[in-house]
Amino acid sequence: MPTTTAAARATSLSKIYGSGDTRVAALDAVDVEIEAGRYTAIMGPSGSGKSTLMHCLAGLDAISEGRVWIGDTEVSTLSDKALTMLRRDSVGFVFQAFNLIPTLTALENITLPLDIAGRKPDQAWLDTVIDTVGLRDRLTHRPSELSGGQQQRVACARALASRPTIVFADEPTGNLDSRSGAEVLGFLRRSVDEFGQTIVMVTHDPGAASYADRVLFLADGKIVDEMRDPTADRVLERMKAFEQARG
Amino acid sequence: MLRAALRSLLQHKLRLSLTLLAVVVGVAFVAGTYIFTDSLKKSFDALFDAPQPDVSVSVDTGVSAGGEGGGGGAPGGLDQAPTLAESLVSQVGGVDGVAAAYGLVAADGALVIGSDGKVIGENGPPARGTTFLDDPAISALSIASGRAPSGPGEVALLESTVLAGGFGVGDKVTIDTASGGLVDLELVGIVTRGISGSDGSTLAVFDLPTAQKLLVGTTGRVTSIAVRADPGVTQDELAVRIDKVLPDGARTQTGTARSADIAERLSTAFQFINTFLLAFAFIALFVAVFLIFNTFSMLVAQRTRELALLRAVGASRGQVRRSVLAEAAVLGLLAAGLGVVGGIVVSQGLRLLLKGFGADLPSGPLVIEMRTVIVSLVVGLVVTLVSAYLPARRAGVVPPVAAMRDEIALPVRSLRVRTALGAILLIVATITAWLGLRDTSDGERAASLVGISALCALVAIIALAPMIGRGMLVVLALPFSRTTIGRLARENGRRNPRRTAATASALAIGLALMSAIGVIAASTKASVTAVIGDTIGADFVVFGVKFQPFSPDVYEAVKDTPGTRTVTYVRQVPIEVAGDRTALTGVDLEKFPDVVDLTMQSGSAIPSLGLGQAILDDRTAVELKLKVGDTIDATFVNGKSQLTLQGIYTAAGPYQGWITGLPTLASIGARELDSGVYVRVTDGGDVEAVRTAVESEIAAFPSVALQDQASLKEQIDSQFDRVFGFIYALLALAVIVAFIGIVNTLALSVHERRREVGLLRAVGTSRAQIRRMVVLEAVMISVFGAALGVALGVMYGSLLQKVLEPQGITQLAIPVGQIGWFLALAVVGGFIAALWPAVTASRLDVLRAIATD
Repeated sequence: MPTTTAAARATSLSKIYGSGDTRVAALDAVDVEIEAGRYTAIMGPSGSGKSTLMHCLAGLDAISEGRVWIGDTEVSTLSDKALTMLRRDSVGFVFQAFNLIPTLTALENITLPLDIAGRKPDQAWLDTVIDTVGLRDRLTHRPSELSGGQQQRVACARALASRPTIVFADEPTGNLDSRSGAEVLGFLRRSVDEFGQTIVMVTHDPGAASYADRVLFLADGKIVDEMRDPTADRVLERMKAFEQARG
Repeated sequence: MLRAALRSLLQHKLRLSLTLLAVVVGVAFVAGTYIFTDSLKKSFDALFDAPQPDVSVSVDTGVSAGGEGGGGGAPGGLDQAPTLAESLVSQVGGVDGVAAAYGLVAADGALVIGSDGKVIGENGPPARGTTFLDDPAISALSIASGRAPSGPGEVALLESTVLAGGFGVGDKVTIDTASGGLVDLELVGIVTRGISGSDGSTLAVFDLPTAQKLLVGTTGRVTSIAVRADPGVTQDELAVRIDKVLPDGARTQTGTARSADIAERLSTAFQFINTFLLAFAFIALFVAVFLIFNTFSMLVAQRTRELALLRAVGASRGQVRRSVLAEAAVLGLLAAGLGVVGGIVVSQGLRLLLKGFGADLPSGPLVIEMRTVIVSLVVGLVVTLVSAYLPARRAGVVPPVAAMRDEIALPVRSLRVRTALGAILLIVATITAWLGLRDTSDGERAASLVGISALCALVAIIALAPMIGRGMLVVLALPFSRTTIGRLARENGRRNPRRTAATASALAIGLALMSAIGVIAASTKASVTAVIGDTIGADFVVFGVKFQPFSPDVYEAVKDTPGTRTVTYVRQVPIEVAGDRTALTGVDLEKFPDVVDLTMQSGSAIPSLGLGQAILDDRTAVELKLKVGDTIDATFVNGKSQLTLQGIYTAAGPYQGWITGLPTLASIGARELDSGVYVRVTDGGDVEAVRTAVESEIAAFPSVALQDQASLKEQIDSQFDRVFGFIYALLALAVIVAFIGIVNTLALSVHERRREVGLLRAVGTSRAQIRRMVVLEAVMISVFGAALGVALGVMYGSLLQKVLEPQGITQLAIPVGQIGWFLALAVVGGFIAALWPAVTASRLDVLRAIATD
């Protein structure tokens, strides 16, 4: 395949659960390309397959059909060992909840992927990331001593610490109040603008989606629409339109 | 609520199965002990079913008559001298109501030589010879094949002896007899005594004249008379009539009385075995308590939300608590039921274990008494309920609001109370230990003080373990704390100090006992070695195989060996003093002090002993409250006499008890058999040359062996090793339960932390790293427990040695190598225990681990 500017992409990606009468296609021959250095949001009603799409792109979930690449590496054929290495080197994650190891300090959580890989962190980059998320004075604290927003910012810093090819964020603001959520989203936005990071975020919140460069709309396992430079209102409108169309 | 409890059990069945296993192992040990002893008892019933003399006549020694003469399997104990005139047999036979009377000779000292030239059952229980009682109605021995021995050239052997020797009827068998020396006899028959198995003792059966000649070296005398009553004459009646014709010193014993006597001795022995084994079963159960406690604590913690929901919909505290207890009760009963079945396996295991340690017990049908089942069920139930009580209480106090909260954690309870309690107990332990060490009144009180101290210290350590563990794990993790995986493992072990402590404590208990016993064992061996070195001046000692008495010919052969300074012999006769069966050792008054150096504490030393005078060791003297100048009644094989205490010496290992001159022994009619021949080489002489010379002289006597100090030590060591090895084997069960506990704790922890594991995997942790993390945690917990146990065990082993110093354990020896092995065992055990949880953790599906809540 020729190299592209895509950080990740999938061709005819299907994810099928069950068989026969109980057969459900969570993803139905999806073709998608995640542009490098951009902030992509995946939206859709619950059950639309948005989380599944992200998990398949990230190599966390096995796919039924099709092919998936992260950078130039085809993910869909990798062994568990190679997938582990890929996650170490090229992928960062931010989850909705329970994102941190409770026995480690904030700093240890941030450097966890590097430590596990046995690599020395790039101190200047680490400082940049820590200052961006504003956690300098919280580094020695354990997760239980941090607020939910602070914890999620630690998770974001961790996702960026190893300068991955792509960061996947799964409902990163789902458990946060709106102010903390805005902080986290703002930080993700800055990492794209200032550091050229690629981010894929799954969300059902139009407000969160408005931070993205591009929004993919998913329904019934298919990408049904796409929007560039979204605003919260436009996204909300589009969502409503889908609801009515399906209604 | 019961339905909720049952459903919860089913839901967690995999996680509970290890807990179940621990209870099953403990209960199986209890059930197995009962089944084992009950079955053993049953197999001895054959003894009572076997025919036996209606009345036996023997010399009045206070010892039951005709132990082996009647062919009984019970240990006879005392050696018997042929003290009844054979003419008495016909006199007794003439008593009205006597159908038949037989003179019997039975004595120790008929060593059957196997085809390899060695004595069968070497160093085991006695080798006895007896007369065949050719009257099936009253003879416990029956001919299994061949025929009864008749004439000087014939012998019959016990079935187990034949098996051990690989003989067949018609073979020539060599027997080393006490009075006849080495004789070649034709094996004409094989006899049985109704019960199978063997305690290692051998039995050779002759006709009366042959037995007289070979065993006791006399004619015209017997050791006992067996009587068959006429029909219609009761045993008691007959005994009274026979008593009238008996001379002074002889007495009768009815068959019924004899059975009762044996039954009583057996039941005492079984009671001891039972209690001994049960002690170890309860140690295993005690260890299981920690495991059950941990499991229920974790299950309650994991189900906080569910329990809160129950509370929110109206369940009372008591109901929630009872639902957890009901779960425990079902688990306990199930485990106990399986434990009873497992008991059958354990009882067979115990039999094999004992066989491995040299005791081949008679086999019989398995006996499972109702009592066994009830005790096992109750024990299993109680242990489980007691262990689950605290977690159940905690479940009761979960507030209903916890159901609504997102992140739920039971409040972390402070360790303050627990630590304070531990500290207090530690102080109590220190004080009692100090009192014990200072106590000089008598060893027993000091030992029990140290015992109380040990118990306090153990509980204190268990109470303090969470505190100690937090610090200790940091130290243990030092070699790995440079890596993230190492730090994660360390913090996983430290984050729940109670759980880690309970898991480690379980192992500590087993290893504390093992190390304490290790110290006592090593100290005992070292002490005996020191005593032998200090006391025995002889270079060589000739002992009988199985420590059986041997012919004076050995002394005659050795005494003129060139290059020797002193050669002397000692003899022993059984005596009974103050109700205590013991031995009186007769020594050469001039020569003995040259080969055995006893330290006199008071009175006069050996060379000055006159007829009827003796010396005694300090410990026995204190026990019997005797002082120099006292005279005490003693019962000998042929009557009562008196001994005057002339001196008291310091007990030194094997040298203790009554010692007198050979003339005193001769005066009471001891058998002309030696129990040891001591050889001391001329100062500066060629020891090896003398050894070679002595060895070639005694080569003609297969029933004796030459020992030097080194081989004596070795022999004593191996005897101790056997006893302690058996104890280790029994303690192993408790250690196994503790390791099951480690598996259990880790499996539950991994389940509890599956989201963390998922997260670690998501950020690039490899399966191997996850495995390493779990294994490291397990090894740290296990080494922590082992270190606690070993420290406690070594400390109390040493304290016990100090306290037991007056009992002869004068040297402190710490078996460093052995303790190193214990720690190595902890590492390996922890590793093995972690394998399953580690693999489970590494195979967790990343997505599902993160998704589940």
